[in-house]
Amino acid sequence: MSWTLKINGMLQSFEPSPELSTLGDLLEHLQIEQTAVVAEVDGQIVLRQDFDKTPLRDGQSIELIRFVGGG
Amino acid sequence: MSALVIADRQFQSRLFVGTGKFASASVMAEALRAAGTEMVTVALRRVDIRNPADDMLAAIDRSRYQLLPNTSGARDAAEAVRLARLARAASGIHWIKLEVTPDPYYLLPDGTETLMAAETLVREGFTVLPYIHADPVLAKRLQEVGCAAVMPLASPIGSNQGLRTRDCISIILEQASVPVVVDAGLGAPSHAAEAMEMGVDAVLVNTAIATASDPVRMAAAFRQAVEAGRSAYEAGLPPRSTAAQASSPLTGFLRDV
Amino acid sequence: MIGMNMTQLQTILAQKNLDNNRQVWSDRMVQVGPEDVRRQLSIPPGKYSLQRLLILLSPAAEDFLEEMAQQASQLTIQRFGRTIQMYAPLYVSNVCINSCLYCGYNRHTIFKRTRLSIEEALADAEVIAAEGFRHLLLVSGEDRRFVTTAYLAELAERLRPQFSSLSAEIFPMTQEEYQTLFEAGIDGVTLYQETYDRQAYAHYHPAGPKSNYDWRLEAPDRFGSAGMRRIGLGVLLGLTDWRLETLALAEHAAYLMKRYWRSQVSFSFPRLRPAQGVPSDWPFLVSDRNLVQMMLALRLCFADAGIVMSTRERPSLRDHLVDLCITSISAGSKTNPGGYTGHHHTGEQFEVADSRSPDEIAQLIRSKGKDPVWKDWDAAFVKTAVDS
Repeated sequence: MSWTLKINGMLQSFEPSPELSTLGDLLEHLQIEQTAVVAEVDGQIVLRQDFDKTPLRDGQSIELIRFVGGG
Repeated sequence: MSALVIADRQFQSRLFVGTGKFASASVMAEALRAAGTEMVTVALRRVDIRNPADDMLAAIDRSRYQLLPNTSGARDAAEAVRLARLARAASGIHWIKLEVTPDPYYLLPDGTETLMAAETLVREGFTVLPYIHADPVLAKRLQEVGCAAVMPLASPIGSNQGLRTRDCISIILEQASVPVVVDAGLGAPSHAAEAMEMGVDAVLVNTAIATASDPVRMAAAFRQAVEAGRSAYEAGLPPRSTAAQASSPLTGFLRDV
Repeated sequence: MIGMNMTQLQTILAQKNLDNNRQVWSDRMVQVGPEDVRRQLSIPPGKYSLQRLLILLSPAAEDFLEEMAQQASQLTIQRFGRTIQMYAPLYVSNVCINSCLYCGYNRHTIFKRTRLSIEEALADAEVIAAEGFRHLLLVSGEDRRFVTTAYLAELAERLRPQFSSLSAEIFPMTQEEYQTLFEAGIDGVTLYQETYDRQAYAHYHPAGPKSNYDWRLEAPDRFGSAGMRRIGLGVLLGLTDWRLETLALAEHAAYLMKRYWRSQVSFSFPRLRPAQGVPSDWPFLVSDRNLVQMMLALRLCFADAGIVMSTRERPSLRDHLVDLCITSISAGSKTNPGGYTGHHHTGEQFEVADSRSPDEIAQLIRSKGKDPVWKDWDAAFVKTAVDS
């Protein structure tokens, strides 16, 4: 069964598994340092401490956002 | 020189620096050190999924510099509020430089959306520093809704044109009950010095430092300019003479009184 | 002084020694020299700082009145045009329960007291309107039993069709009461602190509601918050040192200008004059020279403040002041209730020194190259209640 998630505006197909079932797992899979990032899942902000408690679901829209240089 | 107080924080340095447009994170870090700044702005963007290790925040020593996240990229109040909440969630910082710039050419701020976003964010407990055109009435309204400072532009972002809006900034200064931080368009240390001599409380500089041939030296130059301008202001600049055009005597009638 | 919970204004006046212990300012004034004055006069005029005002009010500045007058005159024309606003006062009651030592309405002074009914007030207003006035100032003694908020509101509503602008110079009220007046069509309030010096204030206002310094001091905040577009301030010149009073007055004005930034602040210059029952040998009297210096100094610090001249002053002085920096002038005033219709022979608050008719004053103004403006604000199209 294949899910489709929208991550940072791009549709990605996705095979869920016990090792890849939470937002925390996703970040690890993408090799993104958790400390630098804030996430929005379906428009709701998810705090870092809740990454591992946030389950992934088919059709979610996920934004992964970090600080960059700016004026 | 006197310390600057914004909301509940005190600053010895009146030069704030933006962290965008630098050639590299290491040059940026050195430039910030040379600037002697105590607060730097940062923006929020999507993580580049293909290049996730790129993290400039690591190059900013957070024990040295207070972060001031901005809402750059927001085109309306709703987007700005969303970005502010994300910034707070990401960093735990409740200060926000509110920037709503729908126009991608000049990056001029939308005052209406800025005011709406400011009201919401102040209510949610943010310390809001709004970036605006040098509009004195808008500045008063933002102060009324509880902003901690106002940040009028000197000239459009990145234009390096200096204090094109000096007359309106002068009015804002006269009417302000919060600190005034001039932001955007300061292209040379002399511009920054001029702003400080007028009595502006602080300046924010990004492009002029980041895109200089030698950003580190330029940062140092801006530091000196801000200090010089502020010192001159506190020392009391001598007046420039204005020629008065006399008409017929107006107080002769008092001579024998 | 007072307790812990001082308002921002009280704190400003106290910390700057403007409501008490004012000797420090007197000392600084005499130290001002001609160089200090020249320096101030070489700066583009119109911006306020306490230091600047101190210098312009100082004895040293007396030698520079002509230069100050030139700048003040030019600045006034620049900001206000070659125009002067005409207004008329309508006294509705000379009943007063206060005992102010200096005032002809003092409750202990025996004279015929009058209160105008709504109809009688409207009759006086008819006369005023027929003279051409569209700006009216309602005035009353402290007579809360008769001059109630309801009375003023009803009067205002009935006057609105004829007058484009209504102001009131009445005893301090609560914010709710000011709000009621605002909604009824009064959009300006004038209130003189009389003196900012607390001790002098207590001395001159020994009894009655007016003896409460702070209630009076905070009134402009209340009516500013209620949305009043015009805020009139002043001190009674002659109670204490006029230079020190002007410093306090200016601080009050600067504070209100920042806070109620949508409203315009004006200064009036009531100067102690002879009145029934008030002694003529009075210390701290303010000369014409002093009065002019005060007005010029304020104009040179507040480019956009209104400067108001009443008929308390004699014709020759008013004529010259028209050339200087005033923006608003009354004419043909009757300071006794019913004085316009002449039906009541009752006590005046002060003796009118300039009894020239409105037409004569208009003529005077034109002869000075200025335009007398009878009406320049139409409230009819503007929402009166403050947005909640």
